[in-house]
Amino acid sequence: IDSKALPRPLDGDVEPTSFTEMFPLNCHPRYLRLTTSAIPNSQSLTSRWHLPLGAVVCPLAEAPQGGEVPLVNFISTGIIRCRRCRTYINPYVAFTDTGRKWRCNICSLLNDVPGDYYAPLDANGKRIDFDQRPELSAGSVEFVAPTEYMVRPPMPPLYFFLIDVSLSAVRSGMIEVVAQTIRSCLDDLPGFPRTQIGFITYDSTIHFYNMKSSLTQPQMMVVSDLDDIFVPLPDDLLVNLSESKTVVETFLDSLPTMFQDNMNVESAFGPALKSAFMVMSQLGGKLLIFQNTLPSLGVGRLKLRGDDVRVYGTDKEPVLRTPDDPFYKQMAADLTKYQIGVNVYAFNDKYTDVASLGTLAKYTGGQVYHYPAFQSAFHNEKLRHELARDLTRETAWEAVMRIRCGKGIRFTSYHGNFMLRSTDLLALPAVDCDKAYAMQLSLEEALLTTQTVYFQVALLYTASCGERRIRVHTAAAPVVTDLGEMYRRADTGAVMSLFSRLAIEKTLSYKLEDARTAVQQRIVKVLREYRNLYAVQHRLGGRIIYPDSLKYLLLYGLALCKSTALRGSYADASLDERSAAGFTMMALPVKSLLKLLYPSLLRVDEFLVKPFMSSKDAEVESIVKDRLPLTMDSLDSRGLYLFDDGFRFILWFGRMLSPDVSKNLLGQDFATDLSRVAFSERDTEMSRRLCDLLKKLRDSDPSYYQLCYLVRQGEQPREGVLLVNLVDDPLGGTNGY
Amino acid sequence: MSEMAVTDPEGMDGVRMTWNVWPRTKVEASKCVIPLAVSIAPIRPHQDIPTLPYAPLRCRCTASLNPFARVDFSAKHWMCPFCFNRNQFPPHYSQISETNLPGELYPQYTTVQYTLNPSPPMQSQTMEGSSPNSHPPVFLFVLDTCMIEEELGYAKSALKQAIGLLPDNALAGFVSFGTQVQVHELGFSELSKVYVFRGSKEISKDQVMEQLGLSIPGRRVAGAVGLQKGPMPNGFPGSHSAITRFLLPASECQYTLDSVLDELQRDQWPVAPGSRQLRCTGVALTVAAGLLGAFPQSSGARIVALVGGPCTEGPGTIVSKDLSDPVRSHKDLDKDAAPFFKKAGKFYEGLAKQLVNQGHVLDLFASALDQVGLAEMKVAVERTGGLVVLSESFGHSVFKDSFRRVFEDGEQSLGLCSNGTLEIVCTKDIKIQGLFGPCTSLDQKGTGVSDTVIGEGGTTAWKMCGLDKSTCLTVLFDLSSGDKASTPGTVNPQLYLQFRTSFQNLEGQSMLRVTTVTRRWIDTAVSSEDLIQGFDQETAAVVMARMVSFKMETEDGFDATRWLDRSLIRFCSQFGDYRKDDPASFTLNPSLSLFPQFMFNLRRSQFVQVFNNSPDETAYFRMLLNRENISNAAVMIQPSLISYSFNSLPQPALLDVASIAMDKILLLDSYFSIVIFHGMTIAQWRNMGYHNQPEYQAFGQLLLAPHDDARMIIRERFPVPRLVVCDQHGSQARFLLAKLNPSATHSNSHDMAAGSDVIFTDDVSLQVFIEHLQKLAVQS
Ligand SMILES: [Zn+2]
Ligand SMILES: [Zn+2]
Repeated sequence: IDSKALPRPLDGDVEPTSFTEMFPLNCHPRYLRLTTSAIPNSQSLTSRWHLPLGAVVCPLAEAPQGGEVPLVNFISTGIIRCRRCRTYINPYVAFTDTGRKWRCNICSLLNDVPGDYYAPLDANGKRIDFDQRPELSAGSVEFVAPTEYMVRPPMPPLYFFLIDVSLSAVRSGMIEVVAQTIRSCLDDLPGFPRTQIGFITYDSTIHFYNMKSSLTQPQMMVVSDLDDIFVPLPDDLLVNLSESKTVVETFLDSLPTMFQDNMNVESAFGPALKSAFMVMSQLGGKLLIFQNTLPSLGVGRLKLRGDDVRVYGTDKEPVLRTPDDPFYKQMAADLTKYQIGVNVYAFNDKYTDVASLGTLAKYTGGQVYHYPAFQSAFHNEKLRHELARDLTRETAWEAVMRIRCGKGIRFTSYHGNFMLRSTDLLALPAVDCDKAYAMQLSLEEALLTTQTVYFQVALLYTASCGERRIRVHTAAAPVVTDLGEMYRRADTGAVMSLFSRLAIEKTLSYKLEDARTAVQQRIVKVLREYRNLYAVQHRLGGRIIYPDSLKYLLLYGLALCKSTALRGSYADASLDERSAAGFTMMALPVKSLLKLLYPSLLRVDEFLVKPFMSSKDAEVESIVKDRLPLTMDSLDSRGLYLFDDGFRFILWFGRMLSPDVSKNLLGQDFATDLSRVAFSERDTEMSRRLCDLLKKLRDSDPSYYQLCYLVRQGEQPREGVLLVNLVDDPLGGTNGY
Repeated sequence: MSEMAVTDPEGMDGVRMTWNVWPRTKVEASKCVIPLAVSIAPIRPHQDIPTLPYAPLRCRCTASLNPFARVDFSAKHWMCPFCFNRNQFPPHYSQISETNLPGELYPQYTTVQYTLNPSPPMQSQTMEGSSPNSHPPVFLFVLDTCMIEEELGYAKSALKQAIGLLPDNALAGFVSFGTQVQVHELGFSELSKVYVFRGSKEISKDQVMEQLGLSIPGRRVAGAVGLQKGPMPNGFPGSHSAITRFLLPASECQYTLDSVLDELQRDQWPVAPGSRQLRCTGVALTVAAGLLGAFPQSSGARIVALVGGPCTEGPGTIVSKDLSDPVRSHKDLDKDAAPFFKKAGKFYEGLAKQLVNQGHVLDLFASALDQVGLAEMKVAVERTGGLVVLSESFGHSVFKDSFRRVFEDGEQSLGLCSNGTLEIVCTKDIKIQGLFGPCTSLDQKGTGVSDTVIGEGGTTAWKMCGLDKSTCLTVLFDLSSGDKASTPGTVNPQLYLQFRTSFQNLEGQSMLRVTTVTRRWIDTAVSSEDLIQGFDQETAAVVMARMVSFKMETEDGFDATRWLDRSLIRFCSQFGDYRKDDPASFTLNPSLSLFPQFMFNLRRSQFVQVFNNSPDETAYFRMLLNRENISNAAVMIQPSLISYSFNSLPQPALLDVASIAMDKILLLDSYFSIVIFHGMTIAQWRNMGYHNQPEYQAFGQLLLAPHDDARMIIRERFPVPRLVVCDQHGSQARFLLAKLNPSATHSNSHDMAAGSDVIFTDDVSLQVFIEHLQKLAVQS
């Protein structure tokens, strides 16, 4: 087989068109994607599908300008919902009885149209006000929620920071970057003038900060009783940002110097977390944790795990990927209950047990940011950008999400970062555009009799402005009797999203190898099933055949098995890196996930050297499209290549690359050990061009910041960083494409 | 007061005794009724006391060389008057002769003071540039924040003033408390920083030190920002350097402390309706003590606590949080209906132990309209030799002026010293029962210890963590029951007592004061004449007051009045001249004659009639009674009254309602308060402004005289007394009337002269009392 001829997803994620072709009133696939938009009508059909059947939901996905979700305010009528199944009114309800009744598309109940909402129907049975009613004409709509959707007044946006100030945190420079970044974002935090803010720092003791607006400077309050943590002040540990802004600024200005001589190596993380919880529990909000050290004191203290190589490959191995102390899951449950979402920023230079810490983010709908061996001189831009993004992106507060579907089918499992409040209600204390959730579907009945099934995602949340809102996404999909149709209408992106999540979950109770095998076996089954379906009629002999919709499945599957979360064994990724990757992948929207699995590889030397034929933007545009297969064969030793997985760039300098290019990009450093060179813009045309390109790439998906690593061909072991990501190639016993 | 005779009954020794000649036997002593007691002001300054720049010679029996030693100049040895042991002089005394005596052998120097060579607690850690023994004084201020804004403001400005008055090298620290305790880390420069402790939880010294990052071994230093290595510049060894985060030289931290005080707010925790504020005084003091625990032993530190109400939270709680439960009264204590009392007492006793162990002092300044729990906290103040001032507001001069005096230097200085130890050596057969006053027994057993223990007893040595110029102690003696006649050869007509007080003065200099006194033994079985001549009525009255207070506090169901009456009757039967069963024949020797009146006033005083006061007030009165000198204590029992009039010089007046006259001004000094009382006519003239007219200059002077005298008294006294200026028939006049003998009451007012006053009381008058006494004393 000519491997070059094999299909490669060089265009990245392609949103399925079949989803909206048949049902133009469906919500945009950026919000909701089905693994196949052809729902099998029977259990037997489902069992031959072999791939997960389900959906990936990104309820707050960023919409392009002009494509925003319309906001509807039913002041007088109240929000119109099905009396029985509580489905929100949507484009697929049918108005009957001259417009006085509407039939629920999910449960078929005939509901009365409230008097205020009445409009007559036209000849086609369409309401005459159809065009003026976004809830009837658009698959996505946002309702302003009246008071009955509140159990308390809508909370203000609240940011609380829990910052490790122990020796290693000081040494890494993390504190300084964090303080500066928070300070620079103060004016951009959502929700002015209601935004609340607070801080706790900790080493072997817990430091609270009184930020009362009347103070000239904050007051630091130390609590050392780790066994019996208490709050040292009834108020003012959480303050209104606009009122206390000068005090907050003074604090952030002095934070780095305050601890610059701190020799304390301990970390009372658990007690600090409990402290933050006590301060926040009145209101809820977002808790950002900056942890540099392994928690060593008080409740939730953790120990070094994974030192024992004998554990690897045994049944005990998966335990290392789960929290070491039930404290973490219990805390996560408590935090969620009080509407607190946690983001964990881990900066270990050694082991910080991300598996345990990340649990906090996992069950509170948060995310894990991992900066292994963080040094501000090298990594500050990444932290700065990602923290700023975290602080300034639009956030939905105290949210719950439910996905409803028509009779006969049922969502059976949910996968991602959240806490399940009841069987089908996802608690999401803080949620934003960078979070996606996946769920699996099963047939409740042996046979579906309907032609169409409907799905409705409803996210009830408090907007930063203080308004309580319900965002509703509705979609329909046909019910089919033909397996081939299911395959043809499959969505590889959604499939991989679910697949990845299932595989990562599997690594928590099985060996890595078992998780990988499971992925491979399912893919093999799919291909065999499909082959059986068509081999006879196409007489294709021994060749692999696949539907167009799934042509990249094999490669993505391979990439998944080579991802940080799943790949290899002990030595192939540190325990923390693996856990962090797992937590991240569990939350990623489809597009980012696919890019992480199959990063783009671009040759850039010509772009830097050649005179531009057209505008700069157009040139950049064209080179970005020119993605190369991820194989050694793509790398020419005379070239300069840029690898981009959405989380980092790797700039590969071919051995024969013109030194002129290197010199232009790296200045005097061009010949030295590249591991010691920090990439930055220089005053040369080439450097500017490259930086423009990097900027363009970063801007295309701002959810993470790609730091630029430099690698020279043949420079070991550093080059391995790139090589391990050439997923097409066999490497160290893994399969090639 | 210049007209009053200025007498110094204590002399250079600072010693006064109930009996100045001693009966020979225990049996005879018990017949004396009034115990053998010595009051000593151990470091009272006196111009004649020499200071010797060396350490004293000591006998095997521990007594120091003194003027009563018999010296053999040729043999170069001295015989100890206590044990008759012969001691060889060391070589550096080789030059002594009859004409070349060292100071301690001068016959008139019964009291000498020695400056001692440094013997610091941590000898190995000598520091450059600072005398190794001169620990700077340490003041840890503890401020209650559960007060109304106004009171807190007064307290803050008092603190600021105090800090400004501290010597530059004195170390200052600050702890504030309310619902919780905040220890302010004054050495943290970035921003204001406090360590917070839960107020509801008992906490050990080790926990306090650990949580403040002061533990020497154990866990790594908590939050040790900017921790320096090596010795600290302020004279404390390196291992204690962490404490300099909290205690800084006053010159360095004054600015920080000022701004901390400026920003300090009232306790922020909400108070439930119908509840008291949560005030964790107990934990606050524990934390303060724990913080000072990081200092080396005996470094002379004071906790200066300003408290505005009772402890309601955590250990040491005085009263429940429920406002409808009043703070315990004497009645409650009597009926055992004070649920917190014993437990709190135990807690503060524990605190006292810790402080004494560390050698640190608790000074308590309580200002509140209601009680703050002084009755329970007393033990911690008294055992450590702390100061106490009770007033109704931090804005009142009783607090303000007293507090300032603590920190003032110069002539008005209290002369605060630290780290005191008193040792007593006495002639064989004299046994020590115990001490009243601000000290703690060191449990140093010896042959001089009596089996009977009263007060701080069972020892021949006492610790006084804090002591000052006016500190006074009362030692109660006993005689051994053995028959001396059977031990011939030891018969000596003189008895000896030696008081040795070592202490550190404010400059950190170690001092030792040795007072050796002698008195004569007499055989009272033969004649009581000498005994009576040696009786000190004032001292006896004060000792009786101290005894009765002690018994009231420690003996259940003790009937104080009855005990006093019976003692007085026995005393009068024993020493009076009378014919049996003939009251009219009864007379008392002038050396004894004032004693019954003292007892009459003692019976009526706040020390015995406790139900007129709160337990806090009683505790306060008794603490001062026990630590003041005899003259001052006598005034507490029997106030002095001076009368000012046109026709004569100011003169002492009878403490009787009959002393009131329309054309006189009275000045009453009852120690705790000073009353200037204008007779009706005087008040009228003053109101008409006569004193401003040149022709009535004499009247102006008359008006001023009592004020000048009052000012003199106030200046000498700590705590500063309350000054009441009032007019006859005015509402404040009750402060005077309450102290006067009710010779005229509503029941016999008909035979009083016009213009005098009538006291509405059912108390018996002095005359009635004396009549009864005479009747009972002569009964066979
Ligand atoms: Zn319905
Ligand atoms: Zn001797």
